[in-house]
Amino acid sequence: MVHLSSLLLKKYHGGYVVIRLAMAGHKQANRPFYRIVAAHNKRARDSKYIEQLGTYDPLPNIYNEKLVSFNFDRIKYWIGCGAHPTKPVAKLLGLAGLFPLHPMTITDAERRRAQAELSAAAGAESEEQTEKPAEV
Amino acid sequence: MFHVIGRRSAPVTRLLASRGGVLVESVRGRKSRGDPVAKSKEGRIKVPPPVDPREMVVLKDRYTEYQLILKALRLEFREEVLRKKFEEETGSLAEERARQDAEEHRALMLWNQEENLRLLKARVLRVQKEEEEAERLKLEAVMKLEQQQQEFIKLKEKQVLQLQEEAKNFITMENLDQRIEEALDHPKNYNFAVDKEGRVVRKTVLQ
Repeated sequence: MVHLSSLLLKKYHGGYVVIRLAMAGHKQANRPFYRIVAAHNKRARDSKYIEQLGTYDPLPNIYNEKLVSFNFDRIKYWIGCGAHPTKPVAKLLGLAGLFPLHPMTITDAERRRAQAELSAAAGAESEEQTEKPAEV
Repeated sequence: MFHVIGRRSAPVTRLLASRGGVLVESVRGRKSRGDPVAKSKEGRIKVPPPVDPREMVVLKDRYTEYQLILKALRLEFREEVLRKKFEEETGSLAEERARQDAEEHRALMLWNQEENLRLLKARVLRVQKEEEEAERLKLEAVMKLEQQQQEFIKLKEKQVLQLQEEAKNFITMENLDQRIEEALDHPKNYNFAVDKEGRVVRKTVLQ
């Protein structure tokens, strides 16, 4: 019998391994679910990967949590072998603690906080303005 | 408008455009180089997102720090991978394992050799027996053949003697007259009668 996997192993010229999110929803509409996966750069997002290293569920559950799982041992191995994590994976790993916090996470949080303060201040001002005419 | 399509996961559906009936595939990036701008986008000037310089400075610092830490982490992980590999190949446990494997191999080879010897002896005996059997069968066959030949010769001799015996009573040209005379002189009567009890009567009316 012909050893089929040797026929399917593709050689990539100048390709590298990435750690990225691959959609794993079995084509359910409006219900995404991601696998954290080590794959070749040139492969399609959902196609054959080298190894699965975790999961990420973007929709919050009944306790308002978004569940993430990591196989830290294997992630360390792959990064040691020269894999590149993508931006969302780097952000998740930063929140998990393996990596330092991503700058954009901090920046986005600061922006949101500034926005929230601005809207709170605007809300307080509009409340005062509505109160003043009411008093007067 | 048959634009080069990038990777698509959904199947492509074909629609007829409202303008001029040109065949269009509903895929991202439908417009090709020479297509005119849409009416709603005529005066549009694309502007990059606004950048706050203070935030940018802070962000650059954060990025340099982040990249530094990441580089260090990468080197750490690389070192760990190499160390594990080294341990695997040339660590103390690896030596033990290699030694044990060599021992096992030696023992197994010895056993194999003994097995071979045993089988060799068995085979030699078997082959000898078979040869003897073959010899015996051959001899038997030869003997049988000889015997058959002998029997054939004897049969033929007997037949020859029989014939010689009978030849004495043959009628030849010399005997012819004599035998005719004899036959005419002695008429033989073959008639007889048998009873149900088995009494035979040969005396009949002679002719």
